[in-house]
Amino acid sequence: MKEQDKMPDDRRGFVMALGGAIATAFAAIGSMLLPGSAAASLTDDEDEHDSEEAVVEVQYGMVIDVRRCIGCHACTVACKSEFDVPPGVNRSWVEYTEKGQYPNVGRSFLPRLCNHCSEPLCVDVCPTNATYRRDQDGIIAVDHGVCIACKYCMHACPYDARFLDPVNEWVDKCDFCIHRVSKGLAPSCVNTCVGGARIFGNLADPDSAVSKLIARHRVSVLRSEMGTFPNVYYIDADFTDEVDRRRPELREVRVITHRRHKERT
Amino acid sequence: MHLGTPWGLEVILYLFLAGMGAGTITASASMLLRGGGGDGQYFSIARYGALVGPFPVVIGTVLLIFELGRPFRALNLYKVINLSPMSLGSWFLAFFIVISILYALLFLPWPNWHGERMSSWRRRIAWICVPSGLSVAIYTGVLLGAMPARPFWNSPIIAMLFMISAISTGMALIIFTRALFYKVHLDVPTEERSWHGSGYVLAATDVLLIGFELLVLFLLLMFAHLTVGSVKYAVEIILPGGELAVLFWGGVVLLGLVIPGVIEMFFVAPKLLYGGHYTAPRSIDIVVPLAVMVGGYLLRYVIVMAGQLTGPVGL
Ligand code: SF4
Ligand code: SF4
Repeated sequence: MKEQDKMPDDRRGFVMALGGAIATAFAAIGSMLLPGSAAASLTDDEDEHDSEEAVVEVQYGMVIDVRRCIGCHACTVACKSEFDVPPGVNRSWVEYTEKGQYPNVGRSFLPRLCNHCSEPLCVDVCPTNATYRRDQDGIIAVDHGVCIACKYCMHACPYDARFLDPVNEWVDKCDFCIHRVSKGLAPSCVNTCVGGARIFGNLADPDSAVSKLIARHRVSVLRSEMGTFPNVYYIDADFTDEVDRRRPELREVRVITHRRHKERT
Repeated sequence: MHLGTPWGLEVILYLFLAGMGAGTITASASMLLRGGGGDGQYFSIARYGALVGPFPVVIGTVLLIFELGRPFRALNLYKVINLSPMSLGSWFLAFFIVISILYALLFLPWPNWHGERMSSWRRRIAWICVPSGLSVAIYTGVLLGAMPARPFWNSPIIAMLFMISAISTGMALIIFTRALFYKVHLDVPTEERSWHGSGYVLAATDVLLIGFELLVLFLLLMFAHLTVGSVKYAVEIILPGGELAVLFWGGVVLLGLVIPGVIEMFFVAPKLLYGGHYTAPRSIDIVVPLAVMVGGYLLRYVIVMAGQLTGPVGL
């Protein structure tokens, strides 16, 4: 009987209990996220920040001079054989963009790879620290032994640079050929490029070939609005995308990605 | 189960089940604390929630672990903690699984389980259950919202939506279980009053949550539609003519929210508005929660798929 007397304000009571509970939850979450708390100090975040502020000595990057690309896919094939990449997935690939209406038409090529971003979202979301930034050269790498294949990073990357390795069931992507560049060799795609369209080097050194090209040309990066600060630069890239079909002056736009899933995402 | 997207049915089911389980335990613990932790009708509601709540969470988690391909790799999640929503979420989840099972055990008919010591333990654990349940319910939405590369998800309101839906489906699970298992003699006046009394608490709360959820969905759609760029293109997938429009409007909005909301309002209104009587047949307490739960699953399905099928526009 005692319980039933309370009935009229039941609903409000529940909502108030819920409100208090929400506040408690936020307080709990907040205290976990505060820098310097027990949770944060378990990671080596603080060390990372220190080294970011220090002078960067080596930041590997690439310049892709689209004017010199002939769309031959030699880089795609070199990369495939370098890493024995399973069918259907790519660490590096070349897209074609065709636009306009006959006789006013154009076609351009866009070699793609991981941008080894300076603000890599893939690193931020990785729950196991399997994806990490190498302090010594700025390469973003995946530790295959640690990756749990949760595929969170595949969503976080705005460039679709990552894929699930269907054989090994871990997530993989371009690593700038760490095994080659750490021995002073150029990445396999750069080594094989017939037109000399891919140029690799140290962006932190103002006298490197890549730094000079960037200084002297109008360069661009992909999806700069994402705030990822890519370290792969393009000279003369055509940024036309399928959404540009809405433009009356183009009308016809065809993007051929040469990847298993046909559309850019 | 591959849908051709990085996250397939296991992940969607996990998001739904973990949310529902967390919502059930949160609702149960709130009810218990509201009733002062003692016996009575709040206790019986709390008990149904406590006893069913851990099941969906554990089932969802097992599904998720097997989705990884090599289940033991999941242990790598517990070798570090970082600020990734998935890392924080897995720690929340592990803690919640332990605490919710503990909570459920306290409701089993041990000898002397109505004693003062047991009730005080139940109260203490309930106080932990509420924030940890909410953190599990909310992290799944934060997880999706964290990435500008997925414009459909990249909004703080997704976390709010998932949290409300979690509590609403949790309430539905409690109503459903209670309708199936509660033995009541409706010809005994005290029992009849107590049955309808607690039924009213549950239904009224559910109506409120459904209303909030509709409001949040409206805000999500309105802001996405009013902006230009990636988010506007992304939301087209659930607007009329889009690939997921039928599932969204028919399944999530109509079946999962509007219809259950209207039916429950019909039964709740007399008591809410002019102190009349609340009497809902048992069949309603079975059908309506089922619709809410199906709608909750479809909500996860539509949101997760819409986010994966759309991306930023331009290069
Ligand atoms: S391109 Fe994608 S995978 Fe590569 S570093 Fe940037 S966010 Fe990460
Ligand atoms: S799939 Fe692997 S690398 Fe990517 S976020 Fe998950 S654990 Fe990290």
